[in-house]
Amino acid sequence: MTTKVKVISLIIVVCLFAVSCKHSDEHKYHTVTDKIEANSIVYKGETSSDIYNETIKKVEVKDGEFEFLIPERKSQIASYNCTECHSQPLEKLKEHKVGEKAAHWNIKLNHAGPETMNCTTCHGKNDFDNLQSLTNSEIDFNYSYKLCSQCHQDQFKDWKGGAHGKQLGGWAPPRVSNTCVNCHNPHSPQFEKRWPVRFNTTVEKERE
Amino acid sequence: MDETNKKWYSLNLNRSKKSESCGCEKSAGSCDSDKPKDGYDQIMDVSMSRRAAFTKITAGLLIGAGAVSSSCSVVGSDESKEKSAMEWEEYFKGNYKLMTDEEKDKTINRLVRSYELNTGKKINMSSKDAEENVLFGYAFNISKCQGYMDCVNACVEENNQDRTTQMQYIRIHEMEDGKGFNFEEADDNYYHEVPAKGHFYMGTQCFHCDNPPCVEVCPVKATWKEKDGIVVIDYDWCIGCRYCMAACPYDGRRFNWKTPEVPEEEVNKNQHYLGNRLRKKGVMEKCTFCIQRSREGKNPACVEACPTGSRTFGNLLDPKSNIRWILENKKVFRLKEDLGTEPKFWYYMD
Repeated sequence: MTTKVKVISLIIVVCLFAVSCKHSDEHKYHTVTDKIEANSIVYKGETSSDIYNETIKKVEVKDGEFEFLIPERKSQIASYNCTECHSQPLEKLKEHKVGEKAAHWNIKLNHAGPETMNCTTCHGKNDFDNLQSLTNSEIDFNYSYKLCSQCHQDQFKDWKGGAHGKQLGGWAPPRVSNTCVNCHNPHSPQFEKRWPVRFNTTVEKERE
Repeated sequence: MDETNKKWYSLNLNRSKKSESCGCEKSAGSCDSDKPKDGYDQIMDVSMSRRAAFTKITAGLLIGAGAVSSSCSVVGSDESKEKSAMEWEEYFKGNYKLMTDEEKDKTINRLVRSYELNTGKKINMSSKDAEENVLFGYAFNISKCQGYMDCVNACVEENNQDRTTQMQYIRIHEMEDGKGFNFEEADDNYYHEVPAKGHFYMGTQCFHCDNPPCVEVCPVKATWKEKDGIVVIDYDWCIGCRYCMAACPYDGRRFNWKTPEVPEEEVNKNQHYLGNRLRKKGVMEKCTFCIQRSREGKNPACVEACPTGSRTFGNLLDPKSNIRWILENKKVFRLKEDLGTEPKFWYYMD
């Protein structure tokens, strides 16, 4: 008797298994997350975003597991090298005569407060051709993200991963992402308020 | 009609497949008599599906009318004859999903040529298929969106949407802080300086669900999910019943109530059969993740236009892609997840 019950229950279990787990190809996965996990493979397809970024000069970012490209910066700065004008150290420049126009008079610093930041927080006191970290080490203008990440650690982490900022050209590798200063003006990093670029007058009328 | 080269899907409602043999145990021919048909019966007593009958009747009428008009016309140019020949072929083409590659090329050539005949301008139309190991996904950062609507403009220009009715695939909803995602009280047609104080912005569009209810309800299978996850529409197969519009829980689909109008100089001439090619009156359309761009490796127009970086597009199957990092490292959610539609469009916050 008991063996009979056992055999029957075994058959039922086998049947249930066979029926419930038989999915068609389309419904093989319960969720899209399962599907993504099961089919993940580092993309090595034919499609590449390279052609869309050909004209941009790039430099490489390597930080732990992250490896990607950012636009090169120095060639984009109008009068780099800075030393072409700034031949004297900063202390000397400060002694400029009354009536003489100060350099960079049009730049207004709107980044943190004056007790936190001034020009020399980022720009070298003696070496004008490079940026300067909080501990006075040199930072190349091409890698200015290193300067920003001293304070903005969270944003830096998101940017490296791809949750902050913007990939240029396309989704396909190789990844070229904007660096901090491609979107934010370092002297006034906040995005400005503005009007939306469109207003749907027809929609407004229809809804009246 | 032979089942194997049929160019459409049948509904098969209350119609189970008929058995091959019937009571009289004959495998072919009619059960009534053994006599071969002749004369009148050969033509009139033919078993035919309703659709085939309609096709033949319409074809007959059109051939008749066309033949009369073109043969009698002395002024009819070669171009107009070519046009009507193409219209004829276009009229009887099948469902895109069932077309062979050759048939796809043919219909694309016809569409390109007929645009050239109508406007004198060349367009470039693609029928590029989905690539292996690609599943497209999208992420939207609601802390970053400022409501500038640059994405909406870019989308309209890229996808040749009707300008007069202001049809748009993307809606940006201005939501009040502290009220959650309250779409009923949100405003998607604001016009004031943004970002407005005490508000945040959330964009919606077609979410390209992995389990799309819109596809399920289409009675003619004019909409389906491609292998790379993009839900597309065959504009020439859509009958405009709008079932899909009703089935979509996200307001992702749009209907052409009138013939869409795009000024010739604003037409985006880089097109895809399933994407931004010009639509006609009475068919559905929606976001296709800019299929004409994404299948070439580019980002959709909205992603490219966004000045804040709120929009991320990528390959979900590539563990090194930005979108995968977001899904694995940020706190993401989707709209109406409980419906089981499995949208491939995630929202996240900083």
